[in-house]
Amino acid sequence: MTSPAHSLPVPIPRWAYAVALVALVVTWLVLQENGIALGHAAETVHEFFHDGRHALGVPCH
Amino acid sequence: MSTDEGLTYKGLTYKGLLARGVGAGAVSGLLAGLVGVLVVEAPIRAALAVEQARPAEPGGGHEHGELFSRGTQVVGGVLAAVVVGVAVGALFATAYARSRRWFTTEAPFVRAVALSAAAFGAAAVLPAVKYPANPPGVGAADTVEYRTVLYLGLIAAGLLVAVGASALASRLGRWSPPVRATAVALAAVAAVVVLLVVFPATPDTVPSDVPGGLLWEFRLASLAETATLWLGLGVVFGLLVDPATRRAEASAV
Repeated sequence: MTSPAHSLPVPIPRWAYAVALVALVVTWLVLQENGIALGHAAETVHEFFHDGRHALGVPCH
Repeated sequence: MSTDEGLTYKGLTYKGLLARGVGAGAVSGLLAGLVGVLVVEAPIRAALAVEQARPAEPGGGHEHGELFSRGTQVVGGVLAAVVVGVAVGALFATAYARSRRWFTTEAPFVRAVALSAAAFGAAAVLPAVKYPANPPGVGAADTVEYRTVLYLGLIAAGLLVAVGASALASRLGRWSPPVRATAVALAAVAAVVVLLVVFPATPDTVPSDVPGGLLWEFRLASLAETATLWLGLGVVFGLLVDPATRRAEASAV
């Protein structure tokens, strides 16, 4: 007999979806931002994280 | 101040899971960044040398390493893995809290590792098979947006396959476990094959001056880094969640 406790979901508060959105935006800024959100500053972000982008398998040039 | 106490599940709230997800993400991101420095940097360096040996492109090709020195970019590479690890760790905690169907009879550690293995398959292995990672100097600048759409689309489709597989598994709940596991695995494999066939080929060809050996050394090294990030996240998160769950269960008895 296995414990049924593991099958119970943990209740998720509403602000969890704001956290998820922030996490997605942060991932976007580090891995994908090419000027849509940051304009000229994007180039700085892009170049700083450049090795990381390539190493994590993100399409680049 | 919050209603979280009222929502407590065996002593583990969403907040508790989130904190563990962020912590596990930071640790696995740092480990992935170290793999990056130790394993991925060598082929990146070699690829940059190939790129720099080329004649300057008319119209100004994308020049690397002008804004930052190589050393700074190496630090940036580690930082990228840590930041992405933290963000992915937060998402992972939410997915774990929501995963009502994932190996529900197993220990939290097994559930965490299974979830991270599924995420690694959908978000790293699947895109790596169709659109393998390329070192600097391979991708054409004018196709990068199209390639990004294809890459993100395939990851989204892969995650849908993972969610669909767990939905199918719970639908077939009355089947005997081996038959059910076989049916779900076959359905998932069939869905992945369909995705690999349906998604268009990458528009770029690899320039002839990039050695094939270097290309594959980079691709495997990159896969090692993403594997460290995802599987490390599952293992560390599992190690953090498992004892807390057991303690909560013991105190509830």
